[in-house]
Amino acid sequence: MKLDSKIPEGPLAEKWDKHRFKLKLVNPANKRKYNIIVVGTGLAGASAAASLAELGYHVKNFCIQDSPRRAHSIAAQGGINAAKNYPNDGDSIWRLFYDTIKGGDYRSREANVYRLAQVSNNIIDQGVAQGIPFAREYGGLLDNRSFGGAQVSRTFYARGQTGQQLLLGAYSSLMRQVAKKQVQLITRTEMLDLILVDGKAVGITTRNLITGEIATHMADAVVIATGGYGNVYYLSTNAKNSNATAAWRCYKRGAAFANPCFTQIHPTCIPFSGDYQSKLTLMSESLRNDGRVWVPKKRGDDRAPNDIPEDERDYYLESRYPSFGNLVPRDVASRNAKDVVDDGRGVGPSKVAVYLDFADSINRLGENVIREKYGNLFDMYERIIDENPYKTPMMIYPAVHYTMGGLWVDYNLMSNIPGLFVLGEANFSDHGANRLGASALMQGLADGYFVIPYTIGDYLATNKATKVPSSHHAIEESVALVHDKMDKLLYIKGEKTSTEFHRELGKIMWEYVGMARDEAGLNKALEEIPKLRDEFWQNVRVSSDKNLMNKDLEFTGRIADFLELGELMARDALERNESCGGHFRLESQTDEGEAKRKDDEYAFVSAWEYKGEGKKPALHKEKLVFDNVELTQRSYK
Amino acid sequence: MADMTLTLKIWRQKDRKSPGKFVTYTVENVSEHMSFLEMMDVLNEQLIKKGEDVVEFDNDCREGICGMCSLVINGRPHGQEHGTATCQLHMRKFKDGDIIVVEPWRAAAFPVLKDLAVDRTAFDRIMAAGGYTSINVGGAQDANAIPIAKRASDEAMDAASCIGCGACVAACPNASASLFVAAKISQLALLPQGQIERRRRAANMVAQMDKEGFGDCSNHAECEAVCPKEISITHIARMKREYFKAMALGE
Amino acid sequence: MPALPTSLWSSVARKALMALTGLALIGFLAVHLLGNLILLTGNADAFNLYSNIYASMGSFLYVIEAGLVAFFLIHIVSGVTVALGKMKARPVSYEKTANAGGPSRKTISSTTMIYTGIIVLAFLVFHVTTLKYGAHYETTIHGEKMRDLHKLIIENFAQPGIVVTYVLTMLLLGFHLRHGFWSAFQSLGALQPRLSGLIYTIGVLIAIILAVGFLFIPLWIFLTA
Repeated sequence: MKLDSKIPEGPLAEKWDKHRFKLKLVNPANKRKYNIIVVGTGLAGASAAASLAELGYHVKNFCIQDSPRRAHSIAAQGGINAAKNYPNDGDSIWRLFYDTIKGGDYRSREANVYRLAQVSNNIIDQGVAQGIPFAREYGGLLDNRSFGGAQVSRTFYARGQTGQQLLLGAYSSLMRQVAKKQVQLITRTEMLDLILVDGKAVGITTRNLITGEIATHMADAVVIATGGYGNVYYLSTNAKNSNATAAWRCYKRGAAFANPCFTQIHPTCIPFSGDYQSKLTLMSESLRNDGRVWVPKKRGDDRAPNDIPEDERDYYLESRYPSFGNLVPRDVASRNAKDVVDDGRGVGPSKVAVYLDFADSINRLGENVIREKYGNLFDMYERIIDENPYKTPMMIYPAVHYTMGGLWVDYNLMSNIPGLFVLGEANFSDHGANRLGASALMQGLADGYFVIPYTIGDYLATNKATKVPSSHHAIEESVALVHDKMDKLLYIKGEKTSTEFHRELGKIMWEYVGMARDEAGLNKALEEIPKLRDEFWQNVRVSSDKNLMNKDLEFTGRIADFLELGELMARDALERNESCGGHFRLESQTDEGEAKRKDDEYAFVSAWEYKGEGKKPALHKEKLVFDNVELTQRSYK
Repeated sequence: MADMTLTLKIWRQKDRKSPGKFVTYTVENVSEHMSFLEMMDVLNEQLIKKGEDVVEFDNDCREGICGMCSLVINGRPHGQEHGTATCQLHMRKFKDGDIIVVEPWRAAAFPVLKDLAVDRTAFDRIMAAGGYTSINVGGAQDANAIPIAKRASDEAMDAASCIGCGACVAACPNASASLFVAAKISQLALLPQGQIERRRRAANMVAQMDKEGFGDCSNHAECEAVCPKEISITHIARMKREYFKAMALGE
Repeated sequence: MPALPTSLWSSVARKALMALTGLALIGFLAVHLLGNLILLTGNADAFNLYSNIYASMGSFLYVIEAGLVAFFLIHIVSGVTVALGKMKARPVSYEKTANAGGPSRKTISSTTMIYTGIIVLAFLVFHVTTLKYGAHYETTIHGEKMRDLHKLIIENFAQPGIVVTYVLTMLLLGFHLRHGFWSAFQSLGALQPRLSGLIYTIGVLIAIILAVGFLFIPLWIFLTA
């Protein structure tokens, strides 16, 4: 496998402009002759489908939900970054680039990240033109807030619903194209395979989730924008339907999967309460501005939090990190919570949580000020936990939130399979080993509105559309494969439900491929996951009918894929014997117990190639070159 | 509090065409900390093990924003809690021994697909009729070139927070979609970006709403009362004004 | 933009027509009630002179009556359309229904508009046939011959059956107006959040005044006869 990142030559700031000039164009009259499949309707998928349709291409846009507006981008709360420098506080494209590449712990490509910073401003302009009601000042101009990992205020927001508003903006543009019949919207349909002819992506095989009908759709290019794979962990802040199946099918057809071990764990989530629990709910990180994190000093302390006297509390973040205190970055806060819980000092009914206490802030500022700032979050907490956080400290615990890894793409966002493009969280491209807050929305929309419309033309212009007959063996083979897998699942009729397997996989992943990883644990995971997978294929029980709406069958298929992906994540984590960003190897720490990168050995992208059932995947390395930034070690003491 | 045992009367319907009926199930060991949907998950796990078909119900984000979840619970869309979607309704709001009737959204424009899942694509078609500003990517001016009064922007955001779940239709005695349609018309009517097409938008979206077979708005305001985002019927009043302007002045 | 006739019968315009005609009919009822108050004076001549004003209008009365009939018809047809549309829009009804509470304006009034409307309509037919087209007595006041409507009314309201019919129907009219008045403003898009509560209260007051006013007259005549 040859990985050519296709990063343009020349100075960083000129790469994208020069590259755009060099890209081949498709004549406007010819665009209508091309069909493009876009899978997914989140920020990346909807923006790509709308933009490509505006250019004149015929687009088929697929989603598994009933409407494009349900995609999980909708749940993003905080905001979207852009280098507008409206607050006049010294922001610039260069600074956004620098913060993002540093925040990613130097495991992303300079050229990609710089381009992201360049187009960030256009996204805000586009959003405002669509009628997105971003927060404003009394003077009528846009308001900005600050976010983790940056010393400037560059985050645009719409209450705590920024993702929703940006997605509805992209969705409205998409629906305009649907009305014009430029986009054919195919909802409640799941992509289950990628069809390749002569090594090029030319179509997909899908299942209609209402009727169970298996169909194939052919096109000149396939764009995957199906989000991340955080649900490997069973419990995450992802939506129930979020899954890796489309991306995983591409991997099994030969697309390289990059940096699978890079996952982000968010420190402020509502802790889990029992086995029945189906997901974890995130609460904005901003809470750490006014809350103090603590656990009892004594192990197994069962007293109510307000009965524990001040001198028997351990404000561990404040004592370990005097200068940053409760505001250390996401990964540091998360890892320390795990440390104290592992030490037997966790709180709450499950003993897997820490306190986030607002008593001091309430004393200092008054309950009203706290209510104004965080009222909606406090209400949400009370609804779920049934405790009043104004009176009793909140309980929080980290949860899986975002996956930086994904399908490998070059500078044009094309995978190593010609004609297969990957956008948004589904690709690996811009966040390195750790994503900064408010950057996911930026990347998804940058890919869809401002990158793919240019780069896909270059591919189409140089690859003549070839008509593939419907009897082509590749199509028949793909359809047979999809049918076989489903029939196999239904035939087993075992004892355990797929959810039970998923929960077990989640436990393995969280334990060994979670916040802190080491060789022994990862090897253990590499033993346990295949065992669980074997059991799954012998003992799973699926609700019966494949010709009806059957969510259990959908989920079981996705869990089968998670059982494979989990293993690849563990393998990648084992291979990368350094700590960087969200990937913490216990073997690689500084004397102070902080993550220690090994730039000489690991300044590369791991790209894994599928080698067949039961065979070890092959690792390819794309070396990362840093000409413009100096690699430094993070410290928050 | 000890775990609860609940009796569920659930609407079961095989597909769009088959007739449906209520089936009664008992769910034991329901923890008060479970969400309503997690309780439904427990029921489905039981059904799988017994070799029966699972109860289909739409859900996704489970944090009250995607609008995928539905369910009319004891006669109320999204259950009895105000400003809450079904996914954030918790079992502590119920008592041991309760009998809970669970029904799908009922409207001709939302046909049942299976059990409790309904087809809400009518909303997408209404959006396609005009719920946007007709601008292509690339031509937008600088975001701060259009100042917008904070009050207008905030009010637009109130409307824009609609999650498109369809509870308004489910709750309306007439199965009217007015609140959903009004939220989008109102959002864009309040903002300068929406001015150019405002009359055309109001006319076309209302026409599509009527075409989809939703009922008339009789001002019961049940929609506002069940809306998980508590969107006000003030927006319906604005939609009407927009429509009258379109009637009087044309496009 | 759809052609004008389409938009005049769209869900939004239809309800506006219903609202406009409804408000006009409330105006008519108010005038009607004011005139009827003369009955409470017990002065037969005064009432007959008042009703003769209309009788002597000649063909202009037909114009007024035709207008009134048109308003009623529009109001009725739009009301029936809404009711039928409701059945079409929700062919399968809920097993269990409940009021959502909070800001909801759903009441027994709002959900029975079509029924109270139909009963009031039936009453109207009865009312017009028994009075306008009822027995024709004559009287002479100040040398002018005119219809003695007062006598007919007193005769009618001496019958307990008729009085009960009036009282009950007027109560139902009150229910109809309680939702109708407020609803008309909302249908016309005239409600601001600040005014909503006020208009709703005014609606309740108007409903009480008109219903009690109209039902009090036959009751009073019956009891004092």
